[in-house]
Amino acid sequence: RGARPPAIGRRRRHSRGVVPRGGRPRHRAALPRTPWTVRGPPPQVLAEMVEPRPVREQVELDTVTFAERLHYVPGLARPRFPPWERGWHDPWHSPGPRCEEMPLYKERGCFICHQGVRMLEGVRQAQWLTKTKLVEGLPPAVQGIVDNPALGLQELEERVKHMVSHARLWDTAEAAPKREKYCPVLFENLIHVCRLMSGKYPSLSKRMLARNCRIAATWERESILLQVRGLSGILMNSMTPIPPVASKEEILATKEHVLETFYPIAPTIDLQEVNVYKELNDTGFRDGYPYSHPHTLFFLESANARTDRFRPEQLRAKMLMFAFGNALAKARVLHGNDPKVLEQPVVVQSIGTDGQLFQFMVFQLNTTDLVSNDGIKNLVWIDSDQNLYERAQCVPEVKKGVVMKPAGISGFQPDTFKKFLALYLHGTV
Amino acid sequence: MAVLGLCRAFGALLLSAGPRRARPPALPQPCLPGPVLAPAACRRLSGSAPCCTTDPLWKCRTKYTVRPVGMKKTGGRDHTGRVRVRGIGGGHKRRYRMIDFQRLRYEEGAPPEPFTEKVISVRYDPCRSADIALVAGGNRKRWIIATENMQPGDSITNSPHIGRMAVSASEGDAYPLGALPVGTLICNLESHPGKGAQYIRAAGTCGVLLRKVNGTAIVQLPSKRQMQVLETCVATVGRVSNVDHNKRVIGKAGRNRWLGKRPHTGLWHRKGGWAGRKIKPLPPMKSYVNLPRVKAVE
Repeated sequence: RGARPPAIGRRRRHSRGVVPRGGRPRHRAALPRTPWTVRGPPPQVLAEMVEPRPVREQVELDTVTFAERLHYVPGLARPRFPPWERGWHDPWHSPGPRCEEMPLYKERGCFICHQGVRMLEGVRQAQWLTKTKLVEGLPPAVQGIVDNPALGLQELEERVKHMVSHARLWDTAEAAPKREKYCPVLFENLIHVCRLMSGKYPSLSKRMLARNCRIAATWERESILLQVRGLSGILMNSMTPIPPVASKEEILATKEHVLETFYPIAPTIDLQEVNVYKELNDTGFRDGYPYSHPHTLFFLESANARTDRFRPEQLRAKMLMFAFGNALAKARVLHGNDPKVLEQPVVVQSIGTDGQLFQFMVFQLNTTDLVSNDGIKNLVWIDSDQNLYERAQCVPEVKKGVVMKPAGISGFQPDTFKKFLALYLHGTV
Repeated sequence: MAVLGLCRAFGALLLSAGPRRARPPALPQPCLPGPVLAPAACRRLSGSAPCCTTDPLWKCRTKYTVRPVGMKKTGGRDHTGRVRVRGIGGGHKRRYRMIDFQRLRYEEGAPPEPFTEKVISVRYDPCRSADIALVAGGNRKRWIIATENMQPGDSITNSPHIGRMAVSASEGDAYPLGALPVGTLICNLESHPGKGAQYIRAAGTCGVLLRKVNGTAIVQLPSKRQMQVLETCVATVGRVSNVDHNKRVIGKAGRNRWLGKRPHTGLWHRKGGWAGRKIKPLPPMKSYVNLPRVKAVE
């Protein structure tokens, strides 16, 4: 047991890029000799080390907490205080009644379709919900107005081009107007051109435009309660109703039509289910208002971001739901709340656009008996994805000194405006 | 906000302070059944442990939604604020889409019976290597992990029944392991019935159902380890989507930075263990089944 021979130093060079580890292995000295290490710890200390710690039982009543001490004490349990009550009703700081305690709470849930509802299945889903049969293209009555040469639509073409250029190119101090700006401006311009025709047809002046009017309609569909609520876009009312578009044979022919379902998806998907609601049927106008018949609904998708706008399919579904809501509310006012087949069908038109694409729709409400799946169904004519113009270039696109796309409106289609005007004139011409 | 709690806690420690006003319920502390805050990430003063500086506050949502939820990046920092995992930071912003890992989740009021769902769309998920699919059934839509050949318009079935004959399952369906034939490729496996899938979720992975032994099933995981679970545990049939994920070439350092990975240290770790052949025996089979213990006769 001599001293350790001095280690002949073999120091390794620290090379850069190597993680330095512990170094030479340290030689641990032997344990010092004390009575404790030789004979072991004294029995008292040994007993303390060996005995198991007592497990404290979780007994809520007997746990000692630091609540009485009024400050934290390590070792005592954390107390659970009762929730503090103000003692008086403060309207700024009260949570409000729960759903179950509200006066309008009902056990049966109701599915509501509102302005923000984007239906997964689109028009098919709206068709099932409103018991409607779809016909592609515009009805022959409206098509007749489009093809009528006596209207003089050729002169209007120049005007409409000016209107589109004004909305899309000229109405701004920046390079190009945003959609939030040009969509409503384009709509106003088109309505202005339509109103110019009232020189020829004086009964066109018996129309009125309403914005932000609320619609409420309730109906039941195969034991599901449905409602349409909310701001229904821009509504044009007239003093006289639109005459029915479909013939009696067509209406009777809808009896054989079968509504398509889309298993496994339920037809109420994407609708908001609520338990607190009021079963209301309201056109948005009081009785005795001269312009009482809904004529056309306009939907403008003017959000700047593409994700905030409705896709064409979703927009058509929304148009159908709100046209149906307006028609049903008006039918309930005219013929009462009983479900029955209408002698005089109610016709409501609908136009939806995002500034470039137009969707035209004519809806005819034939029956308010919507509970069962068979019987006479409502009819809808849809003309979808009509472009008013291809492109509106504010600044000409130039590549290598050659003008690829000149500035201005290109690909203008007058047919789309003709259909717009025809829907406007429908009912008076 | 944590500092305010700290001051209040320190003030409470002062012996000279008299009885305090009851604290108004302005700081809500809801007990969330879903994502729960870490036990140490609480607002009280605790001895010598450092107070929390970063709460994972973005994980507050309890209600399921299909819309993507904004995320906050941690940069590898834990609740104390110090770096816990190296090499994480930066990268493109991501939104979290809540994935439903429990395939057999029934709608409210729906009976516990087999049901079908329709695949609406399959898309890329920035939070994982696999693709996700939006499926709709009944009145609800949810996100699930997509399998290899899932296309929009497919129908997938979810069934809890185990029959005497094994089901000929098509890809994307979810069945209990006891109902599947031995040898099927499965993914999205759960260790306990009803817990939700926690295994075999990465892109292109699949497990193999090896054998079924009286009430339990043995599955081989992608790491070749074997796992024994109850036969009522639900798994999806097929391989996870995005099969060529491991064949992709990063190409440049910038792409790794876009993924949120910071560069490694350049020092050579002699004992890193990365070099050389690794020959290790397979770890023993992991059993998640609590077999009844035979009690010793006293």
